Amino acid sequence: MILRLAWSSLRRHSTRTLLAMLGVAVATAMLLDMVMMSSGLRESFRELLLSRGFQLRLAPRGTLPFDTDATIENASGIIARLRTNPDVGTISPVLGATIHVPVNGRVVTSSSLGVDPRVQGDYELLSGKDPMAADEIVVNDDFIRETGAKVGDTIEVSTGYNPQLRTYSGTRRLVITGRARFIYGASNQLATAMQISTLQEMGGQSRRDDASLFMIKVRDDARVESVREWAEREIPDVSALSIETALAQVDQRLSYFRQLALILGTVSLFVGFLLVTTLVTVSVNERVGEITVMRALGVSRAHVVQQIVIEGVAITLAGAIAGLGLGLITARYLNAILADFPGLPVAIDFFLFQPRAAWTALGLLTLSGIAAGIYPSFRAASLPIATTLREEAIA
Amino acid sequence: MLLPLIALLIQLPAQRTIAIDERLAEDAKIAVGDKLIVSSKPGSEGDTVVVSGVLRRGADPSEIARSEYQVRMHLDHLQKVAGYGDRVDRFAVATRGEKETEAAMRAINSAAFGFEAHRSRDIAVETSRTYQVVSRFHKAIGVITIVASAIFLLCIMLLKVEERRRDVAALRLMGISRATVVKAIVAEAALLALVGCALGVLVGFLSSRFINWHYQAVYRTPLTFSLVTPGIVTLAVSLSLVLGICAGLAASLRLVRTPPLSLFGR
Repeated sequence: MILRLAWSSLRRHSTRTLLAMLGVAVATAMLLDMVMMSSGLRESFRELLLSRGFQLRLAPRGTLPFDTDATIENASGIIARLRTNPDVGTISPVLGATIHVPVNGRVVTSSSLGVDPRVQGDYELLSGKDPMAADEIVVNDDFIRETGAKVGDTIEVSTGYNPQLRTYSGTRRLVITGRARFIYGASNQLATAMQISTLQEMGGQSRRDDASLFMIKVRDDARVESVREWAEREIPDVSALSIETALAQVDQRLSYFRQLALILGTVSLFVGFLLVTTLVTVSVNERVGEITVMRALGVSRAHVVQQIVIEGVAITLAGAIAGLGLGLITARYLNAILADFPGLPVAIDFFLFQPRAAWTALGLLTLSGIAAGIYPSFRAASLPIATTLREEAIA
Repeated sequence: MLLPLIALLIQLPAQRTIAIDERLAEDAKIAVGDKLIVSSKPGSEGDTVVVSGVLRRGADPSEIARSEYQVRMHLDHLQKVAGYGDRVDRFAVATRGEKETEAAMRAINSAAFGFEAHRSRDIAVETSRTYQVVSRFHKAIGVITIVASAIFLLCIMLLKVEERRRDVAALRLMGISRATVVKAIVAEAALLALVGCALGVLVGFLSSRFINWHYQAVYRTPLTFSLVTPGIVTLAVSLSLVLGICAGLAASLRLVRTPPLSLFGR
């Protein structure tokens, strides 16, 4: 009975109801996008960091991994020191550098990682094999596209460019042994990987035993923090970052997006609430006579309140369900825009859909729909019956 | 007695000075006159310096999300501390005008070995990709916000006009023409939109002040985050007025086409 009355009331002004639903749908879409953005980036980054099971990273003191060109000296000594801790499982040293490859009279510049292929966590092999020998290299599809090289080709690779002398610190002829997808690579970034010893030798005497980063697997998840503290204490040249500390740094760097999400999400929710409140209030004002007659016939106050609240919730829910679809479409569009962020790994999503985000948006909107109906419903339920009927009759 | 002391003072090298940024001064409780040891590697033997000044950071967007501290040193001092020899990363060259800039670039690029001259403007474009992305994102969010506001405004205006059903019916029964009724309602809608615009501009201006105050404190930067310009105000006011008037017109036309008695609910 209550539902039928609410439905009839909404159908009576179908244009108005549709417009309000559309407004709520847009507000919902915005709210969903903002809920997705507020947590998506963090979750996406966490998934990326944990994708290969390394819980700790050691970077040059005071920096984030590959944030600067700084390197850590005495890499072999640090590995030996880390091995003394029984909680440390796998250690993957990484050295980053820029390499230059001459191709048909021009020089193609690419990033390169020196890794230990047996334990590396930086790339996934798509075809071919890992660079297990000193004269082998794996490359990504962007590199293949740019250079025209293919698996099995031998390329000349140089590093350590000195712009004043126009010389390189080292040059090697390397065989491409595989195609790889670099997990932390940015979109359109040319990337390669070779043995860390090869890249160290190419870097010259000053880089003979350098690393940019150590990635560490700790045997027991519960011991990660204690190993992190131990590494910070024992190795003064490094900052030890667990997933949580890395996420805290990312949070700090990208706090702008979370704050924007909070502001726009709040505004969207408020706009939706205001729209439904206005609509239901006007609708109640128009039906004052009808409501008073119902009250005079013996319909209880609670019944009137329920009917009006249901109207508000119905508009909100109908708009919200349409808005969730719209929100997913706009999220993809906005994510595509932000994917062009320079240096951002391709695998990072600003707008990561999680069922929790949809439920949060839907829950908040349902609450706002209920709240939107409360004021007009109480106003309608508390109308003095005799006075209102007389006024309506005169009108 | 005094002569040996003067001789000693002459022989002592002058204490090197550095300037630090205000974030570092605030966080590390360092004041002008304090002595610090600077080194290029943690744990290595450094050089003792005196803090001679505290710098305010420039309004550089690329620095806002970075929590790094900044120190300014004399070039020769930094070269010595960093073991950089007589090397620099770049030279900034001021020219006398556009023509001279072209000529200087040609001369440097054709004669110098190991150097390449770039126009500051070109470097700014090259390094501003991050802001281009953020700007595109803001524009997309802006479009969604405008669509949402437009629907909201249309809905409100429609409701506002529909509330006048009985008034319109009475006017029509009294013999007032449809055109007059439409004009009256559109004028009312325009006035309502105008008052709403004025309030909106005020709220926008106050919000902008709050956003700048809040984010400047959060990021400790003099950067302006939100700017209310005449162009933005004109766009917002024009959009609201057009939407308000259109909504008023659509609703009033709908009302005047309905028979007056139907508007009364008879």
